[in-house]
Amino acid sequence: MEEFWNSLALSQGTLGEEYIGFLRLAVPVLTALLLLRCALPLLTFRREPEIWAWLNMPDGTQVPITHWENLIGRSKGCDVTIELSTVSRNHAVLTRYDDGSWTISDAGSKTGTFVNGRNVQICALNPKDRISIGGVEMQLQPITERQEERQAQLRTKAASGWDTLTNLMLLTTLQCLMLLGFMLKTDRENFISILQGFGGIILCQWILYIFYAIIRRKSFELETMAMFLCTMGMAAIATVKPDETVKQMIALIIGVITFLAIGWSLRDLERAKKVRYLAVAAGVGFLAVTLVFGTEYYGAKNWIILGGMSLQPSELSKVCFVFAGASTIDRIINKRNLILFIVYSVVICCFLALMNDFGTALIFFCAFLVIAYLRSGSVGTIALAITALGFAGVLALRIAPHALQRFATWRHIWEDPLVGGYQQTRSLMCIASGGLFGLGPEGGLLQYVFAADSDIVFATISEEWGLLVALMTVLCIVVFGFFAIRTARVARSSFYSIGACTAASVLVIQTILNCLGTLDILPFTGVTFPFVSNGGTSMIGAWGLLAFVKAADTRQNASFAVRLAKKGE
Amino acid sequence: MNRVTKRTWMMGVFILVLLLGILFFLGEYMLQASDWIVFSGSPHIYNGTNIGFGTVLDRSGETLLVMNDGRTYSENAATRKSTLHWLGDRDGFIKASAVSNYASEMAGFDLVNGIYNTNGEGGVTNLTISAQVQNAALEAMGNRKGTVAVYNYETGEILCALTTPTFDPDNVPDIDGDESGAYDGVYLNRFLQSAYVPGSIYKIVTTAAALNCVPDIEEQTFTCYGKVEYGTEAVTCETAHGTQNLQRAFANSCNCAYAQIAELVGKENMVKYVDAFGVADSLTIDGVTTAEGNYDVSEAAPVSFAWSCIGQYNDLINPARFMTFMGAIAGGGKGAEPYIVSSVESGGSITYRAKARDTQRILSQEVAEKLQGMMRNNVQSVYGDWNFPGLSVCAKSGTSQLGGEQSPNAMFAGFVQNEEYPLAFIVVVENGGYGSHTCVPVLSKVLAACKAVMDGE
Repeated sequence: MEEFWNSLALSQGTLGEEYIGFLRLAVPVLTALLLLRCALPLLTFRREPEIWAWLNMPDGTQVPITHWENLIGRSKGCDVTIELSTVSRNHAVLTRYDDGSWTISDAGSKTGTFVNGRNVQICALNPKDRISIGGVEMQLQPITERQEERQAQLRTKAASGWDTLTNLMLLTTLQCLMLLGFMLKTDRENFISILQGFGGIILCQWILYIFYAIIRRKSFELETMAMFLCTMGMAAIATVKPDETVKQMIALIIGVITFLAIGWSLRDLERAKKVRYLAVAAGVGFLAVTLVFGTEYYGAKNWIILGGMSLQPSELSKVCFVFAGASTIDRIINKRNLILFIVYSVVICCFLALMNDFGTALIFFCAFLVIAYLRSGSVGTIALAITALGFAGVLALRIAPHALQRFATWRHIWEDPLVGGYQQTRSLMCIASGGLFGLGPEGGLLQYVFAADSDIVFATISEEWGLLVALMTVLCIVVFGFFAIRTARVARSSFYSIGACTAASVLVIQTILNCLGTLDILPFTGVTFPFVSNGGTSMIGAWGLLAFVKAADTRQNASFAVRLAKKGE
Repeated sequence: MNRVTKRTWMMGVFILVLLLGILFFLGEYMLQASDWIVFSGSPHIYNGTNIGFGTVLDRSGETLLVMNDGRTYSENAATRKSTLHWLGDRDGFIKASAVSNYASEMAGFDLVNGIYNTNGEGGVTNLTISAQVQNAALEAMGNRKGTVAVYNYETGEILCALTTPTFDPDNVPDIDGDESGAYDGVYLNRFLQSAYVPGSIYKIVTTAAALNCVPDIEEQTFTCYGKVEYGTEAVTCETAHGTQNLQRAFANSCNCAYAQIAELVGKENMVKYVDAFGVADSLTIDGVTTAEGNYDVSEAAPVSFAWSCIGQYNDLINPARFMTFMGAIAGGGKGAEPYIVSSVESGGSITYRAKARDTQRILSQEVAEKLQGMMRNNVQSVYGDWNFPGLSVCAKSGTSQLGGEQSPNAMFAGFVQNEEYPLAFIVVVENGGYGSHTCVPVLSKVLAACKAVMDGE
C-alpha cells in the first residue's frame, strides 16, 4: 500500500496533467449524456387522463370523473359544471380515497347537498346513493376493480429497469473518473477524506436503487439527478474543505432518509393530512428555537451550534412550510383555511425579520406566492402581496443596512472589487479562467475565497469542471421544475399538486438566488444551491422538498410515494 | 382539481427567470470574460497587486523574472536591482503596470478553454530594455537618486529606463526603519511617475518657440551684464556673458539672454508652443500614463515669465515625456513614441507585437535641424565630445534650483545623431549639483553600454 502511494506521488506530475486533459472533456460529455437520459422521460411522458368514476346524470349522460378530488358547481373552472342557477358556483366536492371509497362534501353551497334526500355536510357514498345538487339528481358509479387494473396497465410506465441501471452506471463512472482526478492531484490525507465522501454518495445511490427494486419502483431519474448534484457539491467541498466531506456525506444519508420518510407520510393522504399539523408546528418551532438559541453570523441570526455542528433550522422550516401550504380541494374552497395560512405565513415572516435573514425570507415569500396563487387563482391577491413585499422591503432596507449594501454593490461589483463585490468579482474571474471545460480538480484558486463551497459554489464548479458542467447543474434544477409542473397536473389530489409545485418552486428560487447572485445578475443573498452547497441542513431540506415532487408522480410503478394500484402490495 | 392544475403554470415564471438570467450571463461571458480575467486581482493572473503569471525577458533574451509559484528574479543581484521598477516587487508596493497591461495576451485566454492551455506556465513578455545597460546605468548612478533613460527615436524601443534608489527584491532592506533618507520614494518609478523642475534643459523649448515665432532671432544679439532687473527682482547669471548670438547664448545657457528672448516670444506664443510640443502633457507608455508636467504662466509677473522660459518658476516636466520631445527633435520634427514591451508570446504563438508609432509632427524639419545644430555645438564646445567616443551627441544640460537648502537637481537631455545609434536620452540626478558636471559621466557610461548592446545585435 505504501508503495502504491509513493509511486502515485511520482506519477502525479506528468500523468496528472494528461489525465486532466482527458477528464475535462469526459466529465461534460458524461454529464450531458446522463442529464439527457434522465430528463427526457421526465419531460416527455404522456399525461393521459385517468377515469375513476362516472357520474350518471338525469338525462342519461355519463360524466367522467378524472381526479380523486372533483369540484362540482356552476363555475366554468369546476371539474363537473352544472349550469343551473340553483347550483352554487362551487357547490360540492367529490373525493376518492385510497381504498376506492368516495365521499361528497358540501362546499358551503346556498341550496345544500343532499344524499338520499338528506342534507349533508360530508357523507360517505355507497353505490346507488342518490345525490342531489341544486335539484339535479345524479348517481356516482365508480369504476370496477377490473377496470382499475386495466387502467394501471395502460398508464405510462416509468423508465424500464435497464434504463435506470444504465443511468446509475453512468453516474458511477462519472464519480469514479472524478475521484481518479482527485487522486492524481491531491495528497494522501486529503484523498482519503475525498474518497470517503465520494464513496458515501456511490454507496448511498446504489442502496437506494436496490431498495426501489425491492419495492418494485422503477423511476430513478429525479434521484439520479439529485445524486449528480450532490456529487458536484462534493467535488467543490473536496477542493475547498476536504475535511468536511464526511460531514456532508452523513448529511446526504440523513437527507435520503428524510426523503423516504416524507415520501412515506405523503403516500397516504389521510396520514399526510395528520402529519401536516405536526409540520406546521415544527415549521414555527424551528424558527423559534433559532431565534432563542441561535448565533448570529454575517448579520443573520440563523445558525444553531449544537455539539460542534452548525445547523440552519430555517432550511428545514421550508419543508414544513410546503406541508402547511399543501391542501385538499374541500379545504381550499373554504376561505377560512386560506386566511389561517396567511396568518401562518405572516408569523413565519416575522420570525425571519427578527432573525434578519433576508435570503430565506425571500424564498418563503415566493413559496407563499405560489401556494396563494394555486389555492386562490387570484392574480389580484398576488399583486397585493407583491406590493406588500415592496413596502416591507423598503422598510427592511432602512432597518438592515447590510442588506442595503448588497443592493448598492449589485451590478457595480467592479467598482468595489475588494469589499462589497469581492466574492462576485473573484467568481467571474475564476469562471472565465476555467472556460467551458474547466481547469480540472484542484486546479482552481477560487477555493481561497470565502464560501467557495456554498454561496459561490456555482463558480467553484465552473472553474474546476467547466462552465458547461456548471450550467448542467442548473439545468437539473430546471428539469425538476418542469417535471413538477407536468406531474402536478395529473396528481390525484390538489394536496400533491400544490406540494410538488411549491417544493419545486423553492428549489428553483434557491438556485436563482444562489447562481444569479454569484454571477451578479441579481443581488448577492448567500442562499444555498440545493443539493450542491456545503451545508447539512440545506442538504436535508433539499431532499425533503424532492419528496413532494416525487409524491405527485402518478406514472405506473414510478414513485415510492404513490401506492401501487394492485392490492397486497 | 382542474382549477388547481391549470394554475401550475405559475411555477414556469420562476423557471423562466432562471433560464433568462443564465442566458443573460452567457451573453456577458461572451462579451466580457476577457476583461474579467485580467482585472486587477484575478486569482489566476495576479499575485497580489502584480501580475503573477509568465516570464519576463530583456531585449537580449536574458530572464528577468519568472512568475510561477511566486516570483523568481534574475540570478544577478545588479539586474534584480536595476530592473525592479519594471517588474514589481513581491509585496506589490512597486506596481509592474506596463507588464500587467499585457496580462490577457500573457494568459493566452480564450472563451472555450479559459486559461487552461497556459495555466501554470503563462506566456513570455519580451521587454525592450537591456539588463546590461540598466546595470551600467545603476553603477553610474551609484547611491544617487534619479532616473536615466534612453530610447530609440526611430523604433520607439526603450533601451534603458533606470530609477534609483532601488533595492534587491531577494534581499529586501529595512525600508520602513531607514532614517537616512536613502530609500525616500523607493517605490516610485521616477521615469514614469515623477515630475521635475526642468531648469535649463527647458531652454530647448524656449529656443524652439523663438525659432518658430521670432523671424530674425538668429540675426539678433543679446548682451548679458550678469543681471536683468524687473523692479526689485531680477534674472541673474553667475557671470556676465557679454554679447552673444542665439547659438552662443544657448551654449552658455545664459539666463539674461533668455530673459530677453522670453520677451521677444511673449507669453501667448510660449503657452501656444509648450502646448504644441506637448512637453507639459502626460504620455502613455504600454497602457501606463505618466505624470503630467506643468507650464502655467497665467498669473506670472514679467520676472516669473522670464524664469518660466529658463525652466524655473512653476515649470515641471516628466522625464519620459521630455525624452520623447528630444526624440522628436532628433527625428527632424517627429519621433517614435517610446514603449517597453516589444512582444508577448503565449502557448507558442505571438499574441502581441509592438509597432513603431510616430508622434505628431511638432516641429518643422528646418527648426528641428537648427536645434540639432545648436545642441551638437553644446557638446562640442562645452560638454566635451571626447566623453562619447564614436557618437555624435547633441544635448543641453540643466541645473534646476529647488529653493531652500536643497542642492539643485542635475538634468541632461538630448540625443545621438548617428544613423546606426538613433538614441534620445534624459538623465536626472536629484540634488546632483551642476548639470553637465554630474550627468555627463553617467551618460557617457550608459551610452557606451547602449552602443555595445546595439553593436552586438
